Amino acid sequence: MSKPSNSAHVSDRRSFLGKITGLIAAFVAAVVGVATGKYALYPAFRKMSEEQNWQVVCPLEDIPEHEPVKRSVVISQDAGWGRFNSQRLIWILRDGSRVVVFSATCPHLGCTVNAASNGFMCPCHGSAWTGDGQRLGGPTLRALDTLDHRIEEGVLKVKYEFFKQSIAEKEIIS
Amino acid sequence: MWKKLYSWLDERTGVEGLIRKINDEPIRGGARWSYVFGSGILLLLVLQFFTGIFLTMYYAPTSDHAHASVAFIQKAVSGGALLRGLHYYGSSAIIILAILHFAQTFLFGAYKERRELLWISGLLMLLLVLAFGFTGYLLPWTQEAYFGTKVGTSIMGEVPAGGPLMQRIMLGGREITTLTLSRFFTLHVWLLPLLLILLAGSHVAFFRRSGPAGPYHHRDDARTELFYPRQVFLDALVFLLIFIVLIVLSLNLKAPLGQQADPTTDYLARPPWYFLPLFELLKYFPGNMTLVPAVVLPGIAFIVLAVLPFFDRKEERHPLRRPVATVLMLLGLFGSGGLVILSKYQDGMNPDLRAKIESQRREELAYLDAPFQPEEIGRSLPIEVPMVQVEGNMRNPVLKIYFANCANCHGRDASGGALGPSLIRLASSRHLSRDFLLKYISGHVREPSPDSMPRFQQLSLDQRGELADWLLNLRSPDQLSEPGETAAQSSLPSVPKPAAAPSQGPKKAAEIPRAPEAFLKTCAFCHGNDAGGNIGPSLVGITAKPERSPEDLLKLLDDSRAYGLKDPMPANFPKLSVDDKKAIVDWLSKLQ
Ligand code: FES
Repeated sequence: MSKPSNSAHVSDRRSFLGKITGLIAAFVAAVVGVATGKYALYPAFRKMSEEQNWQVVCPLEDIPEHEPVKRSVVISQDAGWGRFNSQRLIWILRDGSRVVVFSATCPHLGCTVNAASNGFMCPCHGSAWTGDGQRLGGPTLRALDTLDHRIEEGVLKVKYEFFKQSIAEKEIIS
Repeated sequence: MWKKLYSWLDERTGVEGLIRKINDEPIRGGARWSYVFGSGILLLLVLQFFTGIFLTMYYAPTSDHAHASVAFIQKAVSGGALLRGLHYYGSSAIIILAILHFAQTFLFGAYKERRELLWISGLLMLLLVLAFGFTGYLLPWTQEAYFGTKVGTSIMGEVPAGGPLMQRIMLGGREITTLTLSRFFTLHVWLLPLLLILLAGSHVAFFRRSGPAGPYHHRDDARTELFYPRQVFLDALVFLLIFIVLIVLSLNLKAPLGQQADPTTDYLARPPWYFLPLFELLKYFPGNMTLVPAVVLPGIAFIVLAVLPFFDRKEERHPLRRPVATVLMLLGLFGSGGLVILSKYQDGMNPDLRAKIESQRREELAYLDAPFQPEEIGRSLPIEVPMVQVEGNMRNPVLKIYFANCANCHGRDASGGALGPSLIRLASSRHLSRDFLLKYISGHVREPSPDSMPRFQQLSLDQRGELADWLLNLRSPDQLSEPGETAAQSSLPSVPKPAAAPSQGPKKAAEIPRAPEAFLKTCAFCHGNDAGGNIGPSLVGITAKPERSPEDLLKLLDDSRAYGLKDPMPANFPKLSVDDKKAIVDWLSKLQ
């Protein structure tokens, strides 16, 4: 190859080899770029299975009847490599196969609601409810929050949800 | 339009001049295939930086989550297997290219003619690349990583005088812990890359200053060619080839990933291939001479190589006219290669080693192929646990074990219970080996959910073996009914039965007073109706143990954490009255 003169630069740049080199670079960049893009965006667009929202409580038979029963459910959040579990408390009222489930989170400001002699009572600011969750008194603006439940093959499952506090209507925080 | 933009940019940045400067590097003797190594390494390093940065996006550098996070990248994230594979195999490719680059520079005498600094910075980078390999090896926190690092750092501890201190600084203590992982992470991801950028930058700058040495025969010295386009093209072509090989390896072979590190196992560790020559040499020196092959020989070799350009001042570059240098280098290269082969050969010839290595590899492959399971963080059992009791009156010994230990959670017909998943076809569909099940049941391999299933260490190896065999063949819930029994008989009552007579207590039922109601309600779910152990340990004879006197037990029930007990043992039992607790402790102290 002869020593290129200055005027040869431009044609050199546009040479065939230059184009192929560009193509190779584009190919590598595209493969790495697409893979990395999918990789980085992976958790942002992942669907949650509906099943994940339902928590197992226990076999229905194991819940005593005609008295408020406190149970906990484990809510799990799949985030990357971990399934982050945390516990939430619920109150269950059972009459045969008729079941009502309340969130034990106070609709006032979120303390844990206790059972009392004549119903339910929140220790923090003294909100009170009847045995079936109707509002009796105290600062709370609404009844205890009921949770959706279903019974599958004899096992009680609950869909635990969070609700906005200190308002008169029950409203899910999504 | 583009031209306008370009010239606008150029006026302000001088980008055109920069590109010219890079592209118009004159190459003495013209473009050649044999010049591709340096650029190949540089491009691979860029790829390592890129993939490495994105790997940290999901990686958790702590010993309790590192493995799960790497498994997540490898198995779950889209593109994760590719990025990790590129990073993993890319590191090997760099080392191969670096060795070739080094050997070529040496053989062709290209370190001569005022290229001392270029040569030394290259040597340092060779070391740096090995340091990258060493620190990166631990990060997935697998068996291989843990034990490999253990051996590597123990060698460091052998160095007289400063060795043990250096080892402790390196490990961040006496043992490999999460701190070691953090240190290696910091080195691998921050310090070494910074150093590498510095060295690589100097290397390229020195190279540009001295210019390429050209062919050793000087025949084409009169000819020069610019870097662009022919050499650039050759470099790109070679890189493309390497890139495609890396992709094929990543997607087909996949970057290996074994089970989580477990210091209690007898894992047979082998270093990565580039450390095998050292490893093999170690075998030929007695323990008190470990230093010679591990530190002294490589040290001497490095120093000799580093000072070489200062002493070797002859202009001759032809390898055949420098017989001593050429023979030494070829000896080194083929000797190292031979040691690698020898090491593989020895492992293959020893039947015990071979069996062990093969079974480890099978387990690793099985793990790699198993679907990703997230690690359970936090307690996965409800605090207010429902009582499910199953009577264990079975003739089939496996079912006896099953009902005594597993049925509470996995259900009466093993198709999943309130707290545990279905076991039907579980082992076969996830390709779990018998070995794995044995360890899993006892808790020695606790992946992926270390907290959700208790460790059944009270089961003997035989019992676990029976369970494992049974699980491997468990295809339908019907296998849980005993022969001759009707389905109706075998479906056990779902309502908790009043405490049945203890089935396996150390004494006959008649001699043991019945457990108090409070115990049956609160403790029996885990410790068994007769306190003989179930999910929780046996409490029989507990009061004879240190720190477990009846008085201690009473306090323990109020604050079990103060006694070192962990989840799933509750911290305290607010529902038990003082009398309840006394009754329980009284009863426990009678069980001897
Ligand atoms: S939080 Fe329950 S009454 Fe205020």
